[in-house]
Amino acid sequence: MTDPTRTPTDPTDPAPSAQAAGMGPAPVATVPPADEQARVEAAAAEPAVEPSPFRTWLASLSEGGATRNIGLIVVLVILCIVGFATAETFATTGNIRTILTNASVIGVVTVGMTFVIIGGGIDLSVGSIVGLASVWCTTVATQSYGPFVMVLCALLVGLIVGLVNGALIAYGRLVPFIVTLGMLIGARGLAQQIAGLQTQVVKSETFNGIADGAFLGVPYLVWLLVGTFAIGWVVLNLTTFGRRTVAVGGNPEAARLAGIDIRLHTALLYGVSGLCCGLAAVMLTAQTASGSSTNGQNYELDAIAAVIIGGTLLTGGRGTLVGTFLGVLVFTLITNLFILNNLSTPVQNLAKGLIILGAVLLQRRRSESAT
Amino acid sequence: MTEPLLRLSGIVKTFPGVRALDGVDLTVAPGEVHCLLGQNGAGKSTLIKVLSGAHQPDEGTIEWKGSEVRFVRPTAALNAGLATIYQELDLVDDLTVAENVFLGHEPRRFGFSSRGAARRRTRELLGRLGHAEIPPGREVGRLPAAGKQIVSMARALSHDAQLIIMDEPSAVLAHDEVENLFRVIRDLTSAGVAVIYISHRLAEIREIGDRVTILKDGRTVAVDLPAKTTPTNEVVRLMTGRNVEYVFPSRSGTPGGEPLLRVTDLGRPKEFSEVSFEVRAGEIVGLAGLVGAGRSEILETVYGARKAATGTVEIDGEPIRRGSVKAAVAAGMGLAPEERKSQALLLGEPVYRNVSLASLRRFARFGFVRRGAERAEVGAVTRSLDLRPADPRRAMRTLSGGNQQKAVVSRWLLGRTRLLLLDEPTRGVDIGARAELYALIRSLADQGVGVLMVSSEVPEVLGLADRVLVVREGRVVHEAPASDLTEAQVLDLVMAGERVTTAR
Amino acid sequence: MSDVISGPRSGLGRRGFLFGGAAVGATLLAAGCTSNDSGNDSPETNTKAVGGDNAAKGTQVTIGFSAPQADHGWIGAIAKNAEAQAKTFEDVTFEPVEPTNDVAAQIAAIETLITKKVGVLVVLPNDGKQLTAVASKAMAAGIPVVNLDRVFDSPLAYRTWIGGDNYGMGVSAGNFIAEQLKGKSNPVIAEIAGIDSLPLTQDRSRGFKDALARAGFKVTNRVAAEFTVASGQQVTSNLLQAAPKIDAVWNHDDDQGLGVLAAIRQANRSEFLMVGGAGSLDAMELIKADNSVLKATVTYSPSMASSAISIARLIGQKKGFSDLVENDVPASITLSSATVTKENVDQYLKTGFRS
Repeated sequence: MTDPTRTPTDPTDPAPSAQAAGMGPAPVATVPPADEQARVEAAAAEPAVEPSPFRTWLASLSEGGATRNIGLIVVLVILCIVGFATAETFATTGNIRTILTNASVIGVVTVGMTFVIIGGGIDLSVGSIVGLASVWCTTVATQSYGPFVMVLCALLVGLIVGLVNGALIAYGRLVPFIVTLGMLIGARGLAQQIAGLQTQVVKSETFNGIADGAFLGVPYLVWLLVGTFAIGWVVLNLTTFGRRTVAVGGNPEAARLAGIDIRLHTALLYGVSGLCCGLAAVMLTAQTASGSSTNGQNYELDAIAAVIIGGTLLTGGRGTLVGTFLGVLVFTLITNLFILNNLSTPVQNLAKGLIILGAVLLQRRRSESAT
Repeated sequence: MTEPLLRLSGIVKTFPGVRALDGVDLTVAPGEVHCLLGQNGAGKSTLIKVLSGAHQPDEGTIEWKGSEVRFVRPTAALNAGLATIYQELDLVDDLTVAENVFLGHEPRRFGFSSRGAARRRTRELLGRLGHAEIPPGREVGRLPAAGKQIVSMARALSHDAQLIIMDEPSAVLAHDEVENLFRVIRDLTSAGVAVIYISHRLAEIREIGDRVTILKDGRTVAVDLPAKTTPTNEVVRLMTGRNVEYVFPSRSGTPGGEPLLRVTDLGRPKEFSEVSFEVRAGEIVGLAGLVGAGRSEILETVYGARKAATGTVEIDGEPIRRGSVKAAVAAGMGLAPEERKSQALLLGEPVYRNVSLASLRRFARFGFVRRGAERAEVGAVTRSLDLRPADPRRAMRTLSGGNQQKAVVSRWLLGRTRLLLLDEPTRGVDIGARAELYALIRSLADQGVGVLMVSSEVPEVLGLADRVLVVREGRVVHEAPASDLTEAQVLDLVMAGERVTTAR
Repeated sequence: MSDVISGPRSGLGRRGFLFGGAAVGATLLAAGCTSNDSGNDSPETNTKAVGGDNAAKGTQVTIGFSAPQADHGWIGAIAKNAEAQAKTFEDVTFEPVEPTNDVAAQIAAIETLITKKVGVLVVLPNDGKQLTAVASKAMAAGIPVVNLDRVFDSPLAYRTWIGGDNYGMGVSAGNFIAEQLKGKSNPVIAEIAGIDSLPLTQDRSRGFKDALARAGFKVTNRVAAEFTVASGQQVTSNLLQAAPKIDAVWNHDDDQGLGVLAAIRQANRSEFLMVGGAGSLDAMELIKADNSVLKATVTYSPSMASSAISIARLIGQKKGFSDLVENDVPASITLSSATVTKENVDQYLKTGFRS
């Protein structure tokens, strides 16, 4: 059946001894050559032959996730162009400050959410934790201790509720979706119970000053947003905690067999998310000058959407905070553009939905062409 | 000669940076077992994907029953009668046998899928494969590997497949199960079904194969060799340009001294019991036995990945806390598990991050990873193992099986591991890289590392280990220096469990 | 509350138990912080002693009461007002059922009240359409139904309807703003609506638009929030960027108004006047203090629940309103939406509800 016009390549041509000499410090001299490896090696070296400086620069960024997020950057640029073209107040400092301030509360929540999702989990309770912390830190009793205790109270409530989530998931071996869904309902209920379904006005000017004040012309809230993302980025990319998060989310069994305490780590991840929610609650409470059990409603959906369009895998193991940040900005920008142009909310929600799908499609295409 | 069932000519497939297939020819006649040989990375997997419709060739033609075809998607190939049984069996564990067999083409009646019909036809197909004892209503996850393979074949038959591609079907099977597989293949071929059989084991190819096509570097280097009569050294030479199949490094004398690892009376209900042995520094101890005899379970229990019910594990006389991998790692143990991809590797992460995963603490200062030190030390270790490609920033998934295994070993060398536990260290690793791994393991032992290895391949255990423990049905039935045992003796022990007398 | 937060279950590991234990401990410690009792707050409810002939003790009446679960200050005030008003009557037995936001559960609750043969029913339905059938059933069983606010589909389903006037709210707000901006040409008038999909929001907006049109004005910027403080803050901060100079703002709801005012304060804006909606205590206090942009609010008062209880009692006792000539209670009462300003705020303060 052999095609007579096609002779198989001569199998004898590789010179084993010559190749063995080039094999490097193999422990025992009898090691035979593995020319397949040489081939892979050659193939791997190929793209590096003529790297343009731009590509190299892009590649150096890619660990931070910038190249993965080309789709989102394109969307952002388009939105900005639309903004310039349609609204004269778009490019004013006041408006930019508003956009960033609007992004700040949900942005802080998404930092924790990014960690949880990269770690292979999901936290549906973020909105309720924000609500609970906001209510808890603004009760008459808490307010009587002053602004410092109010902040501490919100952070502690967030952290503890997060750790309870984490303990139930990691040590109780329950499904994250179910545990945090329960917390979503339960924490909201507790918040309503404490607040007696009323809005608790914050009397402390110092506390409200968190939202009103600015440093170097940039509102504190924006500093907090940038600071949280910066700390998150450092932790995710430069620390052992970040490395373990990626490992636990990417392949929990491999992480366990490498000696990582995946249960402790999982519990801590939810603690991180809760702590972020506590901080977000402080910011939101100062921003609205009131604590309410309605605070943080639907944050879980907004946060998950931002994290996912930011390119983080919903199955865990891969994700970037840069992408999440861009995702949050896209959503905030859409809201801003619609109000600047006096357009209605239904269309706005439609646009957000389409952008989620569009961005995810773009990311997917890029990641497919990259592999 | 009959009209060929399948004819590939000049198939080329490139991926960014790699020319995976570079002119492949292959002809398969109806009813034959056509063996595809080649080292890992030679292009076998890509060729399978092209055949099954998962990849589109860049050049070349595929003729199926005399007419040129393009399988634009896997279902197209399946509908044409070309089914693939992957090494990682692609079954849904939570569905029943019948549901898996008819997944995607359930028998329908009045628009509803008919469970009864599916079960009845599944029973017929299983009967045809000689495995009528597998219940169609059983969840696939509860079947052993051999059973899952039969289910995969039943699925292929349910599509009226005329050509079944089997990618290393014997890799997950024990010895007697392989015999059974061959019986099934013979039944299939006598009914006119052709099989493309891929395996690293030459003995199997001799037994079951009709003709052999050999791939090297993405090209066919030999086509249609007679499977039974082509000399082994010729086949190996075609695959590698070498004349030997296995090269085992020489032993450097039995190490003495105090035991590094002492396992006493270890047991887990329904898995194994009363397991006691020792491993000295610099010694390689092999656990031989059938799949399911408890070898991997013993290894994982020593490592703490399974919690021991009875007994103790000591390193240097210090007992290790039961069921704690962390404690085992801290005491100097490291495990290279059987399923590298699912148990050891972060495939999407760079090599260096995979390697440093177990030693992060060492590179940490105030919780921050000192990346310079990390890269330098990882680089030193991977270079010393000659891990290719050398760039540690490559994603793990781009490495060949052998290099992935080296990365796992690197992880533990970096962690200054004193006792290395290896579970099937050469599974899915090609012959050339195997020899290199053997040499590496021996050199580690020579540097004073204790090694406890599990392997299904008796020659591997006998060739590499200093001492061999034979495990059967959860018990250690025999212990002897490897040099005192022959392959036949071990096989006897493994299967019958009868003690053979060896000169001590 | 420890049900919600407590961690440990029997299946937990040792560490899990410690985690849970720590959480419970912290909860107990922090429980001191959840107290909302400021000591000097008197309950803000709108009750009124009934005067005249109707004050005298009459026949005993059992009033069944069903309302949605409060997720909003206004609904919360409804329930509190109803209960407080009932307490002022010696001859009323008040039978509230568990509040719920589930239509089916509310139907079941009302069925129970029918079986118990209460004298009169006061119902604020979750959904007027979906509860019409069960209300009709009560009427057919001889139990008069007082329909509060959200109206049933059929007049056969209720004896008397009492409720607010959403369209009228918009008209009041529009009139007040038109009056204040009289003489200005093309003023910038912004509207911050509530949840856009609700009919009540659409009615309010229509009234606002109609009243402004009569004065030759129109709404230049309109945004919709979600009746929550946070959403009020968010949309307002963007609105203020969209319109660098504004003359007047109407915010539909004083609950979300807290957020609206916070956004205005954070943007340092004060060039416009603002009108609120519903009439919360906070809003009224701000109007009284006259140190913010909030100059007025148009009421949609939860005091209607107190009135509903009074009406139910009269119906049960087969009496009419003492100031009306009629022997019976009227079939429909629409409250007018009052405009509360600095001038008349003292008169309304007592009807203001806690948001």
